[in-house]
Amino acid sequence: MADAIVLEKVTRSFGEFVAVRDLDLVIPQGKLYGFIGPNGAGKTTTIRMIMSILFPDRGRIEVLGHASALEAKDRIGYLPEERGVYKKMRVNAFLSYIARLKGHDGANLGRRVSAWLGKVGLADVAGKRCEELSKGMQQKVQFVAAVIHEPELLILDEPFSGLDPVNMRLLRELILEQHRRSATIIFSTHVMSQAEQICDHVVMIHKGSKRLDDTVRDIRARFDPRTILFEPLDPGASLAPIEALPAVRAVAQVAGVSEISVREGADPAQALQAIAAAVPPARLELRRPTLEDVFVQIVEGEEGATTSLRAALRADAVVEAGA
Amino acid sequence: MNKTLHVALREFLATVATKGFLIGMLAPPLMIGLMSVLMPRLLKNDAPKIEGEVAVADPTGAIVGRLEAYLSPAAIAGRREATRKRVEAQTPEALRAVAERAGVAQANQALDAILGDVPLLRVVPVPAGESLDAAKDALRQGEVADGGRLAVVAVHADAIARGEDARAFGSYDLFVRAKLDDRIEDEIQDGMREAIVDARVEAQGLDREQIESLTRVPRVRSTTVTAGGEKQTNQLLNLLLPAAFMGLLLISVMTGGQYLLTTTIEEKSSRIVEVLLSAVSPMQLMTGKILGQMAVGFLILALYAGMGVAALVSFAMLGVLDLSLLFYLGLFYVLAYFLIASFMAAVGAAVNEMREAQTLMTPAMIVIMIPWLLWMPITRDPNGTFAVACSFIPPINTFVMMLRLTTTTPPPLWQVWLSIAISVVSVYVALRVAAKIFRIGLLMFGKAPNFATMLRWVRMA
Repeated sequence: MADAIVLEKVTRSFGEFVAVRDLDLVIPQGKLYGFIGPNGAGKTTTIRMIMSILFPDRGRIEVLGHASALEAKDRIGYLPEERGVYKKMRVNAFLSYIARLKGHDGANLGRRVSAWLGKVGLADVAGKRCEELSKGMQQKVQFVAAVIHEPELLILDEPFSGLDPVNMRLLRELILEQHRRSATIIFSTHVMSQAEQICDHVVMIHKGSKRLDDTVRDIRARFDPRTILFEPLDPGASLAPIEALPAVRAVAQVAGVSEISVREGADPAQALQAIAAAVPPARLELRRPTLEDVFVQIVEGEEGATTSLRAALRADAVVEAGA
Repeated sequence: MNKTLHVALREFLATVATKGFLIGMLAPPLMIGLMSVLMPRLLKNDAPKIEGEVAVADPTGAIVGRLEAYLSPAAIAGRREATRKRVEAQTPEALRAVAERAGVAQANQALDAILGDVPLLRVVPVPAGESLDAAKDALRQGEVADGGRLAVVAVHADAIARGEDARAFGSYDLFVRAKLDDRIEDEIQDGMREAIVDARVEAQGLDREQIESLTRVPRVRSTTVTAGGEKQTNQLLNLLLPAAFMGLLLISVMTGGQYLLTTTIEEKSSRIVEVLLSAVSPMQLMTGKILGQMAVGFLILALYAGMGVAALVSFAMLGVLDLSLLFYLGLFYVLAYFLIASFMAAVGAAVNEMREAQTLMTPAMIVIMIPWLLWMPITRDPNGTFAVACSFIPPINTFVMMLRLTTTTPPPLWQVWLSIAISVVSVYVALRVAAKIFRIGLLMFGKAPNFATMLRWVRMA
């Protein structure tokens, strides 16, 4: 199958700051790719270059077989991170307008707009002005604007930010539906758990460079689990015997559960047995590494400030989930 | 191209189909219409219908009778009728028809109907022996409406016959009640002047009519002699026509330009621009927006110019307008608009909010005001060196040319087309520069740029 997107040695700086450095990337058609990395990693810049909104200083970009996305604009759907609506325009008129700009010839356009609004639960606001909609509603309208012309390539920059859990789930379903329609999808997020839930494949960007480019399953397999979740049978039991075990590096309390880190080189299977023998468990499980763990582990090698990084990632995740 | 037209169409509809636009566009002509009906009524020069007494202390004995004759209701009505006839004679046929149909035909009232409307002023002499102060006392009591004494006139003893060695005649003093309508006072003053002049003339043994015919030289309307023939000069029109054309040009250009600035800033600040740029190129977006607002400005131009032409037709004065001027108006509109629009698009894309745009707009506004300062000098001397030079300096050349074209001595054709050619070149340059700033500015958020930054973008792109 042909590749939807090819980036070769792409570099882009803003003044002194290098936002993206020598990025190589190949995304085959029909795949669901996640772009992950903290804020300011270079995700949006990369996406804007793919969209030909920004142009690289060096390197080659190919989108849907064209040298520039400008030549394939109508086959691409794009939900930018900085997104808005025409405040005074009515919802259905806005969607029809965007669809027409995307090359829709206007036949049955009204019906398609209604169908989409129904799908995202906004059928009753079709005639309202965009400014009357809540932020979450506007975001759904913006998503519809990105997919209404059934693009072959769908690029979503932070699609979940600002959505409540219900709408987050709805949007996830809609993205997967586009995936089943065999559209190529790239979506960026700084909340790793979101990528983990829906992506086949993850590209991790940090400080403008690619750090990881693999399927979620391979990543998990590659980064072997070193964290054990533990709850004692007797809530009052002392954990000192566990801390004393040679295989255990540290024990941390996270939300009422003990997270036991296994020392580098020790066998997690044996550690599990030893822990169960030391203190009777109510819960004992080997936690699979999350993308967040993987990310932290990768970055850990190069910086000391991992705790703050992890905290930053968590804080964002909490905000996202609580919004 | 198709996408550009969609952008243009949305731009046009989003601007025009708002209450604000409709009100803003229809309000000025409505105001003018309302004023032209209301103002004459509000500013009616006729003295109101009130009753009262004018006491005259007249040591000469020649004034009271004459003033009484002048202020008699019949005399006032007669003068009004004469004025009306004179106005009517000067009113164009078409307007008279309009006025009559509209029922503004009060003017056609018969003399006796007018008679019912005039003030009833009794002229009485202050009895010999009564002091001036005693006569004035009556002015302090009561109201204007009581029908009592309204004014006291004290005629100077030498008002009619001056002393042997005196160079000037005496005059009179006028004392009036508080809140007396100034038009009543005007009537009294006019009457006193008439009475005194008449008495003086008679005292000298001269013939009033003869003096008047000796001193009367009417002001004539001049005839403008041109190569094309002779026609009556219409000074007012000669001044107003250029101003009207330039005003139209300026209003339509600025309206379109202002809307362009506003919508561009709105698209940028509401962050919709990136969605748009994923569907259309910056150039398509800018072109579409400029074309859309051009249609808005043109709508205004057509509406106002249409009303102007309609007014001229109804006044049967279409002859004063060379119809080729309308063609040039359209052409210069397009040129002037494109120049302003490229500036507005660039500024709109560069700034984050309206407030930041104001700083960049100030120099543009000053440039736009220049044509107004040039209106008088250019209309007076439309082919002077100054006017010719200004016709070739963008961005004011379009306005200056419009002024010159509408004067009585239009410029030679080569100058007109040279000016147009200069405009075309400057529009091309402006659009190219604007397109660069537009493309870069649209996605730049943060510190408001100044002209230096924008220039750097132009070199960068």
